[in-house]
Amino acid sequence: MRNLFIVMVWVVVSMMWACGGDEPEPEPTDHGKIIVTFHHQVAGELLVIDTMIYTNAAGNHYLITEVQYFISDVIFHQSDGSHFLIDDWEDMHYVDHDLPSTMTWEVFDKIPPGSYDSISFMFGISPEKNISLMFVNPPERDMFWPDVLGGGYHYLKLNGKWLNDGMAQNVPFEFHLGIGQIYSGDTINVNDITGFVHNNFRVTLPGSSFQMAAGDTLHAAVSMNIEHWFTDPHPIDLSTFPFNIMQCQECMRIGCENGKEGVFTILISKSKTQKSNVKINF
Amino acid sequence: MNRLLSIFLFIVSCQLFLVSCQREEEVDYQPTPYFFDIPMFYPTKLNIPDDNPMTVEGIELGRYLFYDGRMSGRTDPDSMMSCATCHLQSNSFECGIDHPKYTGGTTFGLSGKQTPHYMLPLINLVWNDNGYLWNGLISKENPSPLQQNLEALVWMGIVAPHEMAGDTNRTKALIRSVKGYPELFAKAFGSEDVTVDRMSKAIAQFIRTFVSKDCKFDRYMRGEEQLTESELSGYILFTTEEGADCFHCHGGFGNPLWTTNLYYNNGKDSLFTGEFEDPRDRYHITGNLSDLGAYKAPTLRNIALTAPYMHDGRYKTLDEVIDFYSHYLVWSPNIDPLMHHIARGGVQLTPKEKADLKSFLMTLTDTVFIHNPAFSDPNGP
Repeated sequence: MRNLFIVMVWVVVSMMWACGGDEPEPEPTDHGKIIVTFHHQVAGELLVIDTMIYTNAAGNHYLITEVQYFISDVIFHQSDGSHFLIDDWEDMHYVDHDLPSTMTWEVFDKIPPGSYDSISFMFGISPEKNISLMFVNPPERDMFWPDVLGGGYHYLKLNGKWLNDGMAQNVPFEFHLGIGQIYSGDTINVNDITGFVHNNFRVTLPGSSFQMAAGDTLHAAVSMNIEHWFTDPHPIDLSTFPFNIMQCQECMRIGCENGKEGVFTILISKSKTQKSNVKINF
Repeated sequence: MNRLLSIFLFIVSCQLFLVSCQREEEVDYQPTPYFFDIPMFYPTKLNIPDDNPMTVEGIELGRYLFYDGRMSGRTDPDSMMSCATCHLQSNSFECGIDHPKYTGGTTFGLSGKQTPHYMLPLINLVWNDNGYLWNGLISKENPSPLQQNLEALVWMGIVAPHEMAGDTNRTKALIRSVKGYPELFAKAFGSEDVTVDRMSKAIAQFIRTFVSKDCKFDRYMRGEEQLTESELSGYILFTTEEGADCFHCHGGFGNPLWTTNLYYNNGKDSLFTGEFEDPRDRYHITGNLSDLGAYKAPTLRNIALTAPYMHDGRYKTLDEVIDFYSHYLVWSPNIDPLMHHIARGGVQLTPKEKADLKSFLMTLTDTVFIHNPAFSDPNGP
């Protein structure tokens, strides 16, 4: 009887051991974290792809089929001039409207508590990091920018169609940004390339100040307002915009200047997901 | 009472012991893992299902089955068919326009039914993570668990009327009866059980070894060989918007697979409904109108060996294909935005540019691949 009792106790204890401990106590933390989500909008509404419902500043009716781009070197700027660069695990992030997994970026870096004035990021990839063949797997691989045109990767592929009223046709357009070329002659011939232009640019997000406390999780909803690519400061008429943008530095310059203003906005919210500075008694 | 409880605990203990022993026996046999050598610049992500890891023994079995006409479940010489009946190594495991039996590359199943689409080559498929066939029917996105991977494609080949038109029971029985096969199955999978599931897995393993990495352009990328002036000019045309603008869909220096494995309406046709409807285009998979008339961009590796071209084999030569992209694009509301040269009917290449582009495309022919003895018939030619 005594042995049986011991066996029973052992079984019960074993079961408790096996079933318990699934939810570990949260670790105390001295930092915050950030989760970035990406959203694509036109005129304040979420993008509806493949549908001819948009009109740009030049009066072109247009639709969007693909939105694919890189952002990199995200920096949190503090009022004392110091800054924090996201680069622990992923210093550049690929966003693809068709791939939901790319639309959320759970940043690995531990963000120091403090008061931050603004957030900025590089649109595209900076020259020192924009190296051909560094991505061998899709989808990033398929953003490669031809080596004869400067190499590296597209910063942006924004593909769509505009409505040519006269022909009653949807006419394809590509709005691609990446490394530009300088040609010595009047014709566009790769044998006449005398230099390259890195068109990546830094975007400082308006209204991006925030306070980070230990244990905070910052939710940053970054929106690309697509109509602004065609609006400010250079209204773009798709009926006259050259189709060969990848070999038209002037076209890319215009595109990038439009991208610096108004294309990106951010909405920040916070949540507490971890206990902060809480002493845990074991 | 105590006695009953003791008996109960004893029985439970015995059952636990037996279960643990059984598991141990199942995992007891381990075939030799196959070391997959990823070439420089190639993707590091391999499309190998968790339930079918590549093994030396599995690949050996798959190789025998791939070339065995008894896979059709028949022994009459006229009715025997294997994967290799249509997929010729000499033509990049495609039919090719010069197939001795299927004239012009038009294939027929053993039922006499014509294969709906022209073939795609079996090449570098271990890196294809975006569906098989011209429309991507076989894909991990397919809700049917029986239509999700390369193994499913093999299975389909056995039973489809326009392919082997077989019966799985007959195929199983016949293969099981062949001396040597049960042993090969045992070496590959741990027991002599011959099942279609195992056949599909073994053949899929073998197909995943079909790696092409030694064409002239590969050697150029590795700095081992220079291109001729014409080939280099062709490559520049291939990879520039002002030129032939092929790279967005077919890869290039940054994508040595020479395909994105994505689907495009490339401007071949303007009508897709009624008598022009193709129930096997991409639209019939996704339901998106933008996919009407869209098909997979095939790899351009060994493109010189895989005529006729396009899903319906409408072009017999590379010259015809280049002419099409140069001058004869057809507008439709569904044309892919990457085909922006549609505004002027095509990329408008000159005769010299066409010749240069073709020269470049010929540098993608991998003669090492088509003569690789590891991919050949184990029973000899």
